[in-house]
This record gives sequence, structure tokens and C-alpha cells, in this order.
Amino acid sequence: MKIITKRIIKFGLLGLLLFSPELFAHGERALEPFIRMRTIQWYDIQWSKNTVDVNQEIVLSGRFHVAEDWPNAMVKPDSAFLNLAIPTPVLVRTATYINGAILNNSMALKLGGDYDFKLVLKGRVPGRYHIHPMMNLRDIGVIVGPGMWIDVQGVAADFKNPVTTLAGETVDLETYGTANGILWHLVWLGIAALWLLWWLRRPMFIPRYKQTLAGDEDALITPLDRKIGGFGIIGTLVLITASFVHADQKYPESIPLQTGRAEIEPLPMKHDVAVKIKRATYRVVQRSLQLTMEVTNKSDKPVELGELNSATLRFFNPALQRFDSNYPKELAVENGLDVQPSSAISPGATATLTVKATDVAWHNQKLASITKDTDSNFGAMLFFYDNTGERYLASISAPVIPDFGTN
Amino acid sequence: MVSQSTAISRAAEIAKISRTFDFILLIPILLVIIGTYHLSMILTVGDWDFWLDWKDRQWWPIVTPLMGISFPAAIQYGLWKHLRLPIGATVCTVCLLLGMAITRWFAYHLWTNYPINLVLPATLIPGALLLDFVLLTSRSFFVTAILGGMLFAAVFYPANWAIFAPFHQPVEYNGSLMTLADVSGYSYIRPGVPEYLRIIERGVLRTYDTYATPLSAFCAAVLAVPLYALWSYIGKLFSTTRFIDKF
Repeated sequence: MKIITKRIIKFGLLGLLLFSPELFAHGERALEPFIRMRTIQWYDIQWSKNTVDVNQEIVLSGRFHVAEDWPNAMVKPDSAFLNLAIPTPVLVRTATYINGAILNNSMALKLGGDYDFKLVLKGRVPGRYHIHPMMNLRDIGVIVGPGMWIDVQGVAADFKNPVTTLAGETVDLETYGTANGILWHLVWLGIAALWLLWWLRRPMFIPRYKQTLAGDEDALITPLDRKIGGFGIIGTLVLITASFVHADQKYPESIPLQTGRAEIEPLPMKHDVAVKIKRATYRVVQRSLQLTMEVTNKSDKPVELGELNSATLRFFNPALQRFDSNYPKELAVENGLDVQPSSAISPGATATLTVKATDVAWHNQKLASITKDTDSNFGAMLFFYDNTGERYLASISAPVIPDFGTN
Repeated sequence: MVSQSTAISRAAEIAKISRTFDFILLIPILLVIIGTYHLSMILTVGDWDFWLDWKDRQWWPIVTPLMGISFPAAIQYGLWKHLRLPIGATVCTVCLLLGMAITRWFAYHLWTNYPINLVLPATLIPGALLLDFVLLTSRSFFVTAILGGMLFAAVFYPANWAIFAPFHQPVEYNGSLMTLADVSGYSYIRPGVPEYLRIIERGVLRTYDTYATPLSAFCAAVLAVPLYALWSYIGKLFSTTRFIDKF
């Protein structure tokens, strides 16, 4: 029996090693649903291309909305950094734009604000990578946007990352300062090696221990050793001072590391469609979020609900034919949104809509477990469209009641 | 005549065995120091030592030597007390550098594609040499704690400036003033190390104009003295010979 158990374990582990699929995810489903739904709401994410050569630029752009109903369990987003979920720096970042302003540091986000962003990147290491926009939020974690597969082509050794200093010197950040750093490490390592060899050439453990135990330890240190110790102090201090002065004179204009926080105002947005959620139910068996909402159209054109976007999972109303075929398939549900009544809401009118967002993706994206969160309020963005194609955004949130289908 | 040559050959044989024993013992000891000291530095100094754009003027010269004096002080105690070998601190810092070099080259550069200059480690060897030299010349843990401990921390920043000064050249990047180190940190994307995590001169040293570094070095030097004493005491506890003495 024992042999069989051992064999099962052995072959099981071997099987796991041989047949485990390669892991590509970045933990985008790991955060609890209420955080993904009600913090950073990504939309309009676009890649300028999906194949890029080494040294060639690629642009990731899009928008994000900072949810008004920010979870109470989360600290407010006073320090946020627009980043990328990327498997090591296979692309390098050359510029970040938020609402058209360039940004190298972190920033504070305003609740309810919409921000336009653009990340300019450059191909570095050839391969096929799944890359997402990502927001690092201090004391919260990361909110990952939708990911796309990007092919980087070419030869890694061809990559260059030139930067010109204020002194006019152009350096390649890939290699700059490496030889100098290694040289200084070798200098100190060499001196240390000499010092260690000076002692290691003599018997070490047993004879020295016996002599120390016998109370004759002073005989283990010779006058020459002490002299070397004295010269060592002076020599080390001289070398430290000389190396410091040399570096200081070589780089007289050096400055300290730079830091700071940016304050960027959100985009001016019209909120011409007001939405009030009357009831939200998640039907576990059907994998369907069902909303009853009161929608007031304050615009001067009739509007219809075209899309519901929750934690990057998009449900499209087939009646409006606004499906985005470039969006990651696992996050787009083409015919997933049912809106009743299906007629447009007239300007100035208020209508009660029953909306069903149904798909197994709720489960696959680990959003169905919203009903098991400590804060089981869901969050989403609604996209309404008028007959000219103009879009109206509304961010919604409400307590979601689970329907387990038991009655 | 025969017995004399037998005695000589026996003494030579004992010396040979003793020497072989030295190296048999030395290799695992060095491997243990490489692993444990490196791990302790990863856990306590962490990002300050990993990344080029974390090495600021204020916190880096405080955090690194104060956390780094642990193993040198403890091992130095054991080696000096029981073997009269004044090399404990140097052995530790050389081991640390080897551990760092292996990790930075294989894990950070070859495996995760970071350029080696972004993850260049700092050196603690100059301070460790001074710590050993002071112990050898003074033959006193008290003097070593005060003078050696202070020197260990105080020389950290100037000794590393030759390595890191080139990265502090100013650059106009995307309309902002940055150092080459900042640009490198910004360019090479680190999903788990957002910019706001960096602790760049956060604190109340502002009233001393731009003299943050000497003050940090002085602060580190003063604090290194009690820390040296503490870690020496831990070294004393761990280098007990009572199990060997039984034989």
C-alpha cells in the first residue's frame, strides 16, 4: 500500500511538472471583487500595435475612472502610480502622460474623476508577452487593467537606451556605470582577499583554538600583524577619501535623487445621464447580475444603454452593435447585456430599466464571489449612447443581494 | 634517528590533517554566512540595496550599515575570542558581496532582465576592513565598538560614492530634472516597486540645508556603537565552546 502511495505521489508530481500549463497571469483576478469593481475602472484601453521591434515605440492608451463609492476598507488614493503588469522589463517606459501632462512620479487621484493616460514604451527583449496597464495604489495593492498579447521582435543585444545628461554626454542606460561599479567592487574585494589570505595561509581552527584555550593567544598575533593593522586603518581611510574626492571632482554637478507627487485635475466630464440603482441581485445559478435602475436623461438627445463594464469585464447590448472585437475575448461578452424596455430614453425623461448582465465570465473572472466579500457592494460603469454616437458615462454602485436559486 | 624522523613525519601528518580540516570546515561556514547574511540583508535593507534609485542621501547611509553590522560584529567576536583571527567582519562582507553578485547576476539580470547597473550592490567591505584593523590593533572589543563601529557606519557613504556618483548626474527627462538613477528606475518597469514606495529623504533634516548626508552618517555612526555591542553579545552566545570543551 505504501509503495502504491509513494508511486502515486511520485508520478503525480512528475505529471504536474510535465503537463502544467505555462503561467501567464499577473494576479489580476486575485484581488477581492469589491476592490476591483469600485476603485480604478479602466475603459477605452488601446494598444497602438501588437507587434513591436526592439528599439521601436508602442503606445498603450486609455482612460480610467476613480470610483466615487471608494470602499471604506481601502485608504484613499493619495499615492498612485500608473504602471504596467509586465513579465520583467521586456519593454521600457519612455514617457507617461496623464490628461496630456507628462508624469514621471506618483500622483494623487480624486474620487469620481476620469483620467486619460498614455504610456509610451519601447521594445527591449524579444518574445510574446501578456501586458496590462496597472495602477499601484499605496497601502491597497494593484488594480490591473485588461491585458493584451504583444510580440517583441528582433535581437535583445541591439537594444539601446540613450539618455543625454545636462553636461551634454549621451549615455546608454543599459550599460552605463556598470564597468566602473564592478571595478570598485573588485578593488575592495582584492584588498579584502589579501587581508584574508594573510591569515588563511596559517593554520586556522584546531591549532589556534588549542593555543587560545591554553591562554597563549597573544602569541598568535605577531608584531608585523599589528603593523599591518595600523597601516590598514590609514590605508583604508586614505583610499576611501581619495575615491570620494576623485568621484566628486569627476561629477561636480551631481544632484540627489528626485522625488515628488503630482497633482493632476481630472478630465472635465459631462454627466448628462444620472443613474440610481433600485435593486441589484446576483443570480448564482444563472451567473447573471440583474439590476433595476432609474435613469434620468439630462441631455438633449435620446439615449440607450450600450454597455456595462465592471472590473474590466464588458457586457455589450447587441441592439446597439457596439461590440469591441479588439478587446480581450475572455473579458468581452458580445450579447451579454439585456436591457428592458429596449427603447431609448427621451431627453429630460426618467425611466426604470431592468438590466441583465449574464455570462459565465462572472465566475471565470472571480467576480461572482462579490456576494462573499465583507463589502458586498458591486461597482460598474454604464455607457449610454445617443443616436449620433456620443457616449455618456455613469458610474454605479449598490449592495448586491445573492440569489442562490434555492427558492 | 628513526624515532626522530617518525616524529617529524607524524607532526607533518598532523599538520596536514589539521589543514585539511580547516578547509573542510571553512567551505560550509562560508556558504552558511553567504546564505544567512545575504538573507538578513534582503529582509532588513531590501529595496535600498536592490535598486539604484533607492540609494538616497539620508536613509540609505543609515539603514544599510546599521543593518549590515550584525553579522560582522557577531562573527568577529567568535573568531577573535576563540581563534584570535581578526577577519570576522571582512569574511562576512566578502561573503555578502559574493551572495549579492550571484543573485544580482543570475536572478535580476539573466532571469528577470534588469540591467546590472540598476541592481548594483553597495559595498560594506571598506567598513569591515576598518572594523577588523581596529580590533587587531586595539585588541579590545570596547575600543572596536566605539571606534570600529563608528567607522564602519561613517565610511559607508563616501566609500560607495565612487560606485554611485556617475548615476547622480542631472538629466532633463520629459521636461523634469532627474538623475540618471531616477531615469533608470522609471524606464525599467518594476510592477511590484511603484515610485511612491521609495523613501527619498523623507524626514526632518531639512533645516540643515543640503548637509543631510554628513548628519545621516554621524547618526549611523553613533547608533552603530550600541548595535555593535548588541551583536557582539549575540556572537558570544552563539560561539559558545562548551560542547567542544566536553571532549
